[in-house]
Amino acid sequence: MNVTDLTHTNAASQRSAGERLHQLLSMPAGAILLVFIVVQLACIIAGLLFADDFRYLSPQNMGIMMRSVPVLGCLSLGVGILMIAGEFDLSIGSVYTFTAVIMAMLVGHGVDAFIAAPAGLLIGAAIGLVNGALTLRFNLPSFIVTLGGLLFWRGAVLLINGAVQVRFDPNPVFDAMFGGTWLGLNAAFLWFTGLCIVFHLLLHRHRFGNHVFATGGNRSAATAIGVNTARIKLIAFAIAGTMAAFAGILATTRVGSVQPGQGAGLELQAIAACVIGGLSLRGGRGSILGVFLGVMLIFTITDVLLLLRAPGFYLDMFIATLIVAASVFNHGLDRRGGAL
Amino acid sequence: MSLLALHNISKTFGPLKALSDLSFEVGHSEVVGLLGDNGAGKSTTVNMLSGIHQPSSGYISVDGQRQDFTCRRDSAEAGIETIYQNTALVDSLSISRNIFLGREITNRFGMLDLRQMRDISMHVLESAVHISGIASPDKLVGDLSGGQKQAVAIARAVFFKRRVLLLDEPTSALSVRETDALLGQVLKLKQEGVSSVLVTHNLYHAYQVCDRFVIMSHGTKVLDVAKADATIEELTQHVILT
Repeated sequence: MNVTDLTHTNAASQRSAGERLHQLLSMPAGAILLVFIVVQLACIIAGLLFADDFRYLSPQNMGIMMRSVPVLGCLSLGVGILMIAGEFDLSIGSVYTFTAVIMAMLVGHGVDAFIAAPAGLLIGAAIGLVNGALTLRFNLPSFIVTLGGLLFWRGAVLLINGAVQVRFDPNPVFDAMFGGTWLGLNAAFLWFTGLCIVFHLLLHRHRFGNHVFATGGNRSAATAIGVNTARIKLIAFAIAGTMAAFAGILATTRVGSVQPGQGAGLELQAIAACVIGGLSLRGGRGSILGVFLGVMLIFTITDVLLLLRAPGFYLDMFIATLIVAASVFNHGLDRRGGAL
Repeated sequence: MSLLALHNISKTFGPLKALSDLSFEVGHSEVVGLLGDNGAGKSTTVNMLSGIHQPSSGYISVDGQRQDFTCRRDSAEAGIETIYQNTALVDSLSISRNIFLGREITNRFGMLDLRQMRDISMHVLESAVHISGIASPDKLVGDLSGGQKQAVAIARAVFFKRRVLLLDEPTSALSVRETDALLGQVLKLKQEGVSSVLVTHNLYHAYQVCDRFVIMSHGTKVLDVAKADATIEELTQHVILT
């Protein structure tokens, strides 16, 4: 092979590497996937090189990660579908607490947890439907309606239970199903992973998902073509409420009690995870892989800072930086037309 | 018998009379130019035929059968597809998902048959619309040019066997080449039995493809003439002077 051939080969391989990078970045959640891989590789290498000081790969740390992720993850899945449909739900943190309190109170009054938990899910779905109905019936911004919901359901928790914690003592089977360990893996994390797969199929492989993207991406076009966009939005609101209640079940089973103020701020973290994962604030764009990676990235960075013994206020600063950087990047994608 | 006909249609919005006693017909395999200046009532007529507005009096018929469109879907089911200036497509969805939006190919559980949707989309784009420069039906509509978007909207209409296309100012955002391609598509579809109503300000574009012209002014029809009976200068005079 002569020098010219070698130069051409190098140029071709550089071009193909560039094309592959471009391809990856234009994939749904491609950029966040790249960031996630880089962060994970850095953490794994640091964990191997400094095993005593940086215990990223220790079983204890992995266990903490798996227990921490599912609650915010489930909230983010619900909020994510709603955001893609073009709406927000700021009430999920309060709904998460309210439904958990109701479930714990029912169990405290002798109701079986397998009946109390579905009751909590139904209440979550009903609250979501009310949010959706108010938003659509009066043509209000969902931001405003669900801001009202945030305050209303937070107050409702104090009204029915006061500012005291509620013990949750379910039967052992329920406890094992939602708070135990299966094949060495945290049950809640397995639930979250399973739900990610279900939501992925629903959003990217099912007719409903196609209509969600169309509703959020161009509502008038979707309506014109015969998609019932109001129904799609209502269902998305109900999903967000149901997932908030499900997150409540996971958290309450893990801890064994509900604190009246435990959901405060979770709604913003869930929206942050979605934005980091590449969901557009204007609707119509995003992926479940992006939501999953957004949640994982928040917890990975939090974990790394904790392992490095950084002061607590650093956590919020890093997450804030991540959100703004992701938003700037997403804005660029929006201007280019965006990707599904 | 005409394919599509408007019978003495009037439309009022409160005190405003947008259309007054409007009647015209669209024949089988015919391209009709609906012309007029701003405020002539062209858009109201298109919205009426699309099912967005309902007539205050008069009615629409398709194949001689009276139709009472209450929504866009009614109009589509009667075989009418409206292709708007900005097209009714979703930028963040792929071409094939747009073509099948609302009529997805699914199994009995509602899961999409993406492969079949892709294959059919590609076939329709290549054979029916002769669109060029689209490598894959997985390409996002947001990445297409204005002309390609119009072609995708037309492909959708062709695939679902619409019989009348309502093209509302279809060339206003297109380049010269894209305009040529679009007008070519209208003529080709005419040969295949698809009629069109071309709503436009641009008389030169209309004159290239239309068989007949309906000129409107202040909500009424002022001229209904075959192409053989009118020159472009006469049409221009009518639009300007009425």
